[in-house]
Amino acid sequence: MGTALQKVLTLMEQKQERRRGHVQRGRRGPDSRGVDRRPQQTQERPGRDHVDVEQIMRDIRGRIAQRQGIDLSNQQIQDLAARRLESILDPRAIRPSLLDALRRTAGESPSRGADRVPNEPAFTFEDFTIYDSHRGALRLMRRLLNPLLKLFFNPNPLIRALHLQAGLNVEAAERDADRDRRQTEWNALHYEIVQRLVTEVSQVSLELKSLSMRVESLDAKVDFNARRVREIEGSAHRSRPQGRPPAEPIVASPAVAGETAPADAAAETAAVRVEGQSPDGTKRRRRRRRGRRSDMSPGESLSAGEAAQLAEPATPGAPSAPSEGLEPRPAIEHLAQDVGDDGAAQALSGSPTEPQPAIEHLAQDGGAAPAPSGTPAEPQPAIEHFAEDSGASPEPLAERPDADRTEP
Amino acid sequence: MKLAIVVQRYGADISGGAELHARYIAERLSSRIDVRVLTTCARDYLTWRNEFPPGPDEINGIPVERFRVSRERDACDFGTRSRRVFGRTHTLQEELDWLKSEGPVSPGLISRLRRSAGEFDFVVLFSVRYYQAYYGARAVTDRAVLVPTAEREAALGLAIFQPIFRGVRAIMYNSLEERALINAVAANAHVPGVVVGVGSNLPPAIEPERARRTFGLSRPFLVYIGRIDANKGCAELFDFFLRWADESERELDLVLIGTQVLPIPAHPRIRHLGYIADQDKFDVLGAAEALVIPSYFESLSMAALEAWALGRPVLSNARCDVMLGQCRRSNAGLCYENARDFAEAVDRLLDDRVLTDALGRNGRDYFERHYSWPVIERKYVDMFERLASEPAPQLMEPLPGWYARRQPTAPAAIDVLASLPSGPVPGTSSEMPA
Repeated sequence: MGTALQKVLTLMEQKQERRRGHVQRGRRGPDSRGVDRRPQQTQERPGRDHVDVEQIMRDIRGRIAQRQGIDLSNQQIQDLAARRLESILDPRAIRPSLLDALRRTAGESPSRGADRVPNEPAFTFEDFTIYDSHRGALRLMRRLLNPLLKLFFNPNPLIRALHLQAGLNVEAAERDADRDRRQTEWNALHYEIVQRLVTEVSQVSLELKSLSMRVESLDAKVDFNARRVREIEGSAHRSRPQGRPPAEPIVASPAVAGETAPADAAAETAAVRVEGQSPDGTKRRRRRRRGRRSDMSPGESLSAGEAAQLAEPATPGAPSAPSEGLEPRPAIEHLAQDVGDDGAAQALSGSPTEPQPAIEHLAQDGGAAPAPSGTPAEPQPAIEHFAEDSGASPEPLAERPDADRTEP
Repeated sequence: MKLAIVVQRYGADISGGAELHARYIAERLSSRIDVRVLTTCARDYLTWRNEFPPGPDEINGIPVERFRVSRERDACDFGTRSRRVFGRTHTLQEELDWLKSEGPVSPGLISRLRRSAGEFDFVVLFSVRYYQAYYGARAVTDRAVLVPTAEREAALGLAIFQPIFRGVRAIMYNSLEERALINAVAANAHVPGVVVGVGSNLPPAIEPERARRTFGLSRPFLVYIGRIDANKGCAELFDFFLRWADESERELDLVLIGTQVLPIPAHPRIRHLGYIADQDKFDVLGAAEALVIPSYFESLSMAALEAWALGRPVLSNARCDVMLGQCRRSNAGLCYENARDFAEAVDRLLDDRVLTDALGRNGRDYFERHYSWPVIERKYVDMFERLASEPAPQLMEPLPGWYARRQPTAPAAIDVLASLPSGPVPGTSSEMPA
C-alpha cells in the first residue's frame, strides 16, 4: 500500500500544483469579488492589521466600568449577589432545609423528580392475583382448591376492592409525580428569579453608589465654580473704579488704554502683547470674553485691566493691585486647580517672579501654543484657558459673526 | 487509497453541521482519494425516519451507500434515558441503551463496515455521539479515524465514549478547545490527532448589493445564521439586541437566516429571512457589518469561518470556549459576556471602521492560513500517510461483561462534564498547526 500511496500522493501533488490558484480561492470560475474581498497572499501577513482582540475587549470592559462606575467583573458581581442572597435567605428566618432544597431542585432537571415514581412497579390486582405464584404446581393446586375456598368465604368483593385500590394507587402515584414535577419546575423558577433579582439589585446598588458619588463630586465642582465666578466678579467689580471711570465705555485701543490709570498700563501692555502687539487682538479677546460670559452685564465683563490683574503675577514690574480684594493670584490658582493641574497651581501661587512656566503650562494644558521664551508676560493662554473653562466655544475669532464689532 | 466516510445522514440538501462537514470533506478528498460514503436512509435527525431509498446512490460524484434505520427515535424514551444517564449515577448498559435510543440504529451499516476488511484503508467516522460512529469505531478499530464534532455537552461525559477516544487510530479535531476537552475526558493524548476543522465552499461571486436589493436591507445590519433556537443562544441575542436598540439611535438591524424554532420578537429592527439559498446567504453575509454567534456551545462554527472567508468580523458569545479561543487566535472577532459588552462591542464595530476592516482582514487571513481547502486536504492526507506508515496499536478496550455493564458505576455525565477544564485554550494562531 505504501507504493500505491506514494503514487497517489505524487499524482495529487501534481494535480494540486495545477489547481493551486483555483483551489486556493475555494471556488470555481473567475474571482469576481472585489479587490478588498479577495484573499490576501500569505506573504503579506506579518505585521499587518495588528489588532489585539483581548486588548480591545479589555478596553471595552474598562469603558463600561468607567461609565458605570463599577470596576467589578461579572463573576465578582455574581459572588456579591450570592452573598446577598445568603443574607436574604437568612437561615434564622426560614426553614434551614428550604434553601438547600431550593438549590438542589434548582439544579435538577424539572422532570427528574417525576422519574422516581414511575420507576417503582405499579401494583395491579386482578382476579387471579391471589392465586398466582411463580411455581406452576402451586398455582395449579390453588386453582383446583379454589371452589373449596369459596365454600368458606366469597373472595370476589375482596378482589374487587383490591383491584380498585390498585387503580387508585396508580392514579395517585401519577398525580403525585405530576405535582412533584410542577413543584420542581416552580422551585427552579423561583430560585432562578430570586437569584436574578438579587444580582440585578446588587448591580443597581453598585451603580447607585457610583452615581451618588459622581453627583457629590459634581455638586462640589459646581459650588467651587460658583465661588470662583463670584470671586472673579467681585474682584472685577472692585477693580473697576480704579481702573477706569465707570461711565466710560471700554474701547479696546491703545489710545484708550493709555488714558486709563497707571495700574492698568502694564496690564494693557500685557493684553496688547497677548494679542501679538495688535490692537485687533485686544478687541478679539474682549469679544470672546463677552460672548462667554453672557450672564454678565457689559460693565461687569472682564476688561483689559482685569486681564492684567489675572496676569499680574506674571509681570513683576507692574504695580500691585489695590488691597481691597483685587487678588488675582487665587483666581489663577483656581483656574489651575480647575484644570486639574497641581503643578500649574503651585507655579502660579508660588513664584510671581517666575510666572512663565506656569502660564506656559496652563497654555499647554489649554491646548494653546507655548509662549515664546522672550515674552515674560503672556497671560493670554491663561485667560483663554479660563474662557474655555467657562464653557465658551473654541471657535476661531475670524469665523464668529461678531468678529468686527467692538465692545460697548 | 480507499476511504470510507461514515456519517449519520448524507445529502446535498442536508445542512446540519457535521453532515455538511462530512460532505465537504468527501467531495474535497475525492480528488485525491477514492472516497465512498456509508450512511443511513434518514433525512430527519429527530426521527431518523427512512426517507432515502436504501442501496447505492451518488451525490455530486461521490458514491454513497445507504442503509435502513431499524427503528425511529422515540423522543419521549430518549428524553427519559437522557435524563437518567446525564443526571445521576447509572450503569454502562443504560448508556448503551441511551445510544440506541438516540439512534440512528442501523445494524446493516455496521455489518457492512465489519465486512469491509481490506476494502477501505481508513474509515472516517463523523459525530462520536451517534450510534453509527460508536459501533463503527468498534467494528473497524484498526482503521477508524474519528471526527468527533464534540461540543461541551453532557453526552461527552458518558463513559462509553472514553474507550472510543482512546482506541481509534486518529482523531481529527475541529478546534484546540475540542481537543483539550477530549484529552481531558478520555486521557487520550497518545492518540494521533490534529486540529483540522473544515473549509467552506464559497460561491464564485459574492454580491452584497444584490442581497441588499433582494431582501430590502437598506440599513446596516448584523446577521445571524443558523437554527433560531434558545439552545443556540438566540433568546439572549434578542434580549441584548433589543436592549441596545432601545438605548441607541443608530441604524442597525438584526437579520436572521435559518429555521425558526424560537418565537422571534416583533420589532422593526429584527428581520427574519428564513431558510435561503447558499448564494443568498453568502451575499447577505458579505453585506453584513458582522456575523453574530450567540451560541454557548460550538464545535467549530462553520458560519464563523464563512464570515472570515468573506472578510467579515464576528461578534460571538464569550461563554463559548471555542469561539472565544478562535476570536483570540484569529484577532478577527469581538466577544460579549453580557448586554453591556454586546452594546459596547456593536458600537465599537459601527464606530471604528478601521477596526472592523482590520478584523475582517485578519479573519480572511486566518481562514486562508488554517481553513482553506489545500490546508485541510493536506492535513487529512498527512494523517492517512502517517497512519499507513505506522502499525496499528493495541485493540480498543472491550466492553465490560454482562454483569459489569449493569453495575451502577458510571457517574452522572453532567458531573463529569463539570469537572473538565473550561475556557479557551491559550495561544495564538501561530500555535495552531497549519
